[in-house]
Amino acid sequence: MKRSILQQMAHTCGYAGRALALGAAAVVALLTFSAAPAAAHGERSQQAFLRMRTLNWYDVKWSKTSLNVNEEMELTGKVHVFSGWPQAVAKPQEAFLNVGEPGPVLIRKSASVGEVPVPRTFSMDVGYDYEYKIVLKARRPGRYHVHVQINVKDGGPIVGPGEWIEIKGDMKDFTNPVTLLDGSTIDLESYGINWTYLYHFVWMAAALVWILYWFLQKGIIVRGWQVAAGKRNEIITPEDKRFGGLWLAVAMLALLFFYANANREFPRTLPMQAGLLTGIPFIEDSRRETVAVHYSGGSYKVPGRELTVNLQITNKGQEPLRVGEFTTAGLRFLNPDVFTTRPVFPDYLLADRGLSVSDPSPIAPGETKNLVITVQDARFDVERLSDLAYDTDSQFGGLLFLFSPSGKREKVEIGGPVIPKFQLGATL
Amino acid sequence: MSITNETTPAAGGAWVSKEEFLGCVKLTDWILLLILFLVLLGSFHIHYMLLAGDWDFWIDFKDRRMWPTVAPIVAMCFAAAAQSFFWQKFRLPFGATLAVFALLVGEWINRYDNFWGWTFFPINLVFPSALIPMGFWLDVVLLLSGSWVVTAVVGAMGWGLLFYPSNWPVLAQYHQATEVDGVLLTLADLIGFNYVRTGTPEYIRMIERGTLRTFGKDVVPVAAFFSGFVSMLVYFLWWKVGGWFSTTAYLENDEI
Repeated sequence: MKRSILQQMAHTCGYAGRALALGAAAVVALLTFSAAPAAAHGERSQQAFLRMRTLNWYDVKWSKTSLNVNEEMELTGKVHVFSGWPQAVAKPQEAFLNVGEPGPVLIRKSASVGEVPVPRTFSMDVGYDYEYKIVLKARRPGRYHVHVQINVKDGGPIVGPGEWIEIKGDMKDFTNPVTLLDGSTIDLESYGINWTYLYHFVWMAAALVWILYWFLQKGIIVRGWQVAAGKRNEIITPEDKRFGGLWLAVAMLALLFFYANANREFPRTLPMQAGLLTGIPFIEDSRRETVAVHYSGGSYKVPGRELTVNLQITNKGQEPLRVGEFTTAGLRFLNPDVFTTRPVFPDYLLADRGLSVSDPSPIAPGETKNLVITVQDARFDVERLSDLAYDTDSQFGGLLFLFSPSGKREKVEIGGPVIPKFQLGATL
Repeated sequence: MSITNETTPAAGGAWVSKEEFLGCVKLTDWILLLILFLVLLGSFHIHYMLLAGDWDFWIDFKDRRMWPTVAPIVAMCFAAAAQSFFWQKFRLPFGATLAVFALLVGEWINRYDNFWGWTFFPINLVFPSALIPMGFWLDVVLLLSGSWVVTAVVGAMGWGLLFYPSNWPVLAQYHQATEVDGVLLTLADLIGFNYVRTGTPEYIRMIERGTLRTFGKDVVPVAAFFSGFVSMLVYFLWWKVGGWFSTTAYLENDEI
């Protein structure tokens, strides 16, 4: 049987179309099911000097590491805004306390800095320490890496330490009750969603009717021929115009009805709230100078993952002090002579034998001592702090903690330029 | 679909019968409509996501000043270009509606499949802006006036003015007030705060920033009129862009 080209095309297209549709569906299914959950938030990709010399996180605690859907936990800690904040990064005049997690697996019920609620942007001052608290509520089952994070305007996100959090249960059980100012309670998880779908899809259905009304009259090609034949002014009839006018009138009336109905149903509405929160209280003893430190140079052995710093430390306090910890970019390097037990902290960030001091004896009150402090651990490399050697601003930074026999802790900021050593045995 | 003898050109020898010819035209029409729909969906979606972006993604970006200013202006581009193509080439008065319908189909697929299906952001955080009533307005003004200049002036102004009322029926419920730890928030603010977006800090929202504050709390009308005015200019430009894109160019035989 003789078939036209278009018939053959239509026949072929039938098979090809089905095959194409099946193939496309398979690809979509494959992509959907093979999507692996995100396990980290790119903090290692940030330049080392930026992580070391912007925000120094300490005393970070996750109140729970395993919880059920709807259960709450607290993420608390302190952050020191480094005095030697890099010139390349905007200062935290506008900052936002955030959570690093793969989507809203836990929702943020509240957040505060210095006991001031911070649902919006706030301002921090360089050189001071701030205490923060975030209350999180478990929403989606799974195992997730959850970080504290502060976003700095024109600086980017600065990610703090992260911990694995296990959430059990079923997301269908999750609720997010919120009490409105009028006293009524709603579930924000699903509030207004059905109406949103309905409103949008009613208009979209109307749009489809409008399109098909015109398309089904003469299609596209025939109209094109008519226009090409110079009959463009004959295509639209007075009936068409009447229909169009009527259609628009009905659409505008429907819109008016929806609008009035919304105003009737929600008579009291407010504009969205925004604005910078200033005057956030810092930790009182942020600038206390019980310990004075003078940095007199240092080096970083790239192959050995070893940071060596020369410090002149003066103890201005009443008790002898020993260097116990150096923390930077969320990593903690501990002196095993001081930390006899391993603190609870994510293993990937805790080098419990990572710090050593040239003279282990305590610094007596009033004494000034020259010390060489060595920070060495593979985590330095794993967390890509070794890349400091390749940064445009090869200055390190961090917090040094000293401990008295009574258990009192003194914090002091250290930092300065370091000279990289690319070969073992090389000298400064 | 009705096709009269009058409009049917000579079929020539390629067709077995007139019915076969008409069937092919009808089939081609549907294929054409589908292709045009998908082209508009893809291209308009990319354009709108790049230019309206967060304003359209998140409920806590949909303020009274920046959103009703920016969204209609950037949405006007494809609506005007599509009208130019469908009206000038086919006298079809559905260009703007088809463009925004295609955009919304794409956006809803994106919001449901990506934002909800993959990342579990609730739909009340990520639903798109409603644009269909504005599409109707623009198409019917063109249909009734038959003039792209009138459509640019009357249609584009209406386009800007209709944007906020078209969205308010959904938005109003999220502008109810609540209080969290002593801080006043709307539900829209709270949804944005509750459902963590690691890469979207609060300070990138642009809530009612600007200088036009002469009309007190009546922010929306000022923004809508400004948006309508700029939409007029955009309409003029993109009508021409649409015409330029739908120009058929032929090659001479010796050029092939």
